[in-house]
Amino acid sequence: MSRTLKVVLAINLLVLALLAFAYPHLMVGPGKLTPGHNKLETDCFACHAPLAGASTERCTACHKPADIGKRSTQGKGIQNATARPPFHQQLVKQDCMGCHSDHAGVKRLRTQGQFNHALLQPVARQQCQTCHQAPNNTLHKGITGNCSQCHTQEKWVPASFDHNTHFLLDRDHNVSCATCHTGNDYSRYTCYGCHEHTPEKIRREHLEEGISDFKNCATCHRSANEHDIRMPGRTKSRD
Amino acid sequence: MTTPGPTSLWRDQILPFSLLVTLLGLATVACDYLLHRLDLVWVGRYLGIPGTLLIIGSLMYSLRKRKMITAGNVKSWLNLHEIGTWLGSLMVLIHAGIHFNAILPWLATIAMGVNVISGMVGKMLLKRSRAQVDAQRRQYQTSGLSAAEVEQAVYWESVTVDALNKWRKIHIPIFIAFSVLSLGHMVSVFLFWGWR
Repeated sequence: MSRTLKVVLAINLLVLALLAFAYPHLMVGPGKLTPGHNKLETDCFACHAPLAGASTERCTACHKPADIGKRSTQGKGIQNATARPPFHQQLVKQDCMGCHSDHAGVKRLRTQGQFNHALLQPVARQQCQTCHQAPNNTLHKGITGNCSQCHTQEKWVPASFDHNTHFLLDRDHNVSCATCHTGNDYSRYTCYGCHEHTPEKIRREHLEEGISDFKNCATCHRSANEHDIRMPGRTKSRD
Repeated sequence: MTTPGPTSLWRDQILPFSLLVTLLGLATVACDYLLHRLDLVWVGRYLGIPGTLLIIGSLMYSLRKRKMITAGNVKSWLNLHEIGTWLGSLMVLIHAGIHFNAILPWLATIAMGVNVISGMVGKMLLKRSRAQVDAQRRQYQTSGLSAAEVEQAVYWESVTVDALNKWRKIHIPIFIAFSVLSLGHMVSVFLFWGWR
């Protein structure tokens, strides 16, 4: 390699190295930062510890865990009605990068802000009402606490409530909740919400069998199976 | 003296060269597409490491050629160099993806691309020079010339060796630029990355 070429090559590479120091956000930064961090674009070590990546200690130097969700980094109160209730104070461990990243290029590769109840301290994990509001219906109004009897912490919907233990929703009963639970009242039901079960027809069929108490269908009928009728006082299903 | 005709030049040298370059591009796009379809984009992020190791490993050929190591024969190291750099480049190209973020890694990627193409040109020149010199030797030896006369007559040998020397003068600076830019990218990654 000629001397001239070596010199030209060395100068070019030196210029690139200088540019990397002068404009790190353009030369080495993996994409833009979030708007709130614009001022930090050329100060990589405001967030990154050398050889260790972005550090929680540097995040919490500005974002005090006690203030997250309550006050901004400038100390102003957060008055956003749609904001999530503050929960960072109840985390098992302060690990910002476990959920957050900042550069646009990195965000593409990582799921952002995916909440997991396992991140909460055990006591906070049981206090569902701190963050969640129960639906405004009679079923939920009649229940206080212990959401976990129907809901898991993996997904709020669907709830783990098993309707089949009360009545099997087979293909003939695959209908909307309101067909049987009218008036948004899940503590009651009616079987007369469809043409198949008219009061007159049900009355006649039961009286023919000598059954006079047929007001609470699900006491005996836990499914549409005619061979699976559990009559109180009898041990065997009716054949 | 025989020199490759236009048909053989196209079939034996330009076509394989073009196919290798095209295949590299198509393989990159196909792998990138598959990683996106299978929701395995994160894999591409880490492919830069084995790709770089393959490229570094393939430099053993250069050490063997310059007698800095003595193990193995040069031909095997050359094969490894060609395959290793091609596969390594494929991994690095998938790693680069099509996401334009920082300038330095893209300069390194472009330098790598130029380096790969330059390497393939060198492979083509080497093959061409070997074929030409062999053909000339055979021709002059069968014509009853003395050894000295054969050497004198193998005019193209010097020309092709000269062509390879000229190529090396370009290939080595390209490689140095690629190495320094890649090193800059790696240093910046290790300086700022937290391995997660």
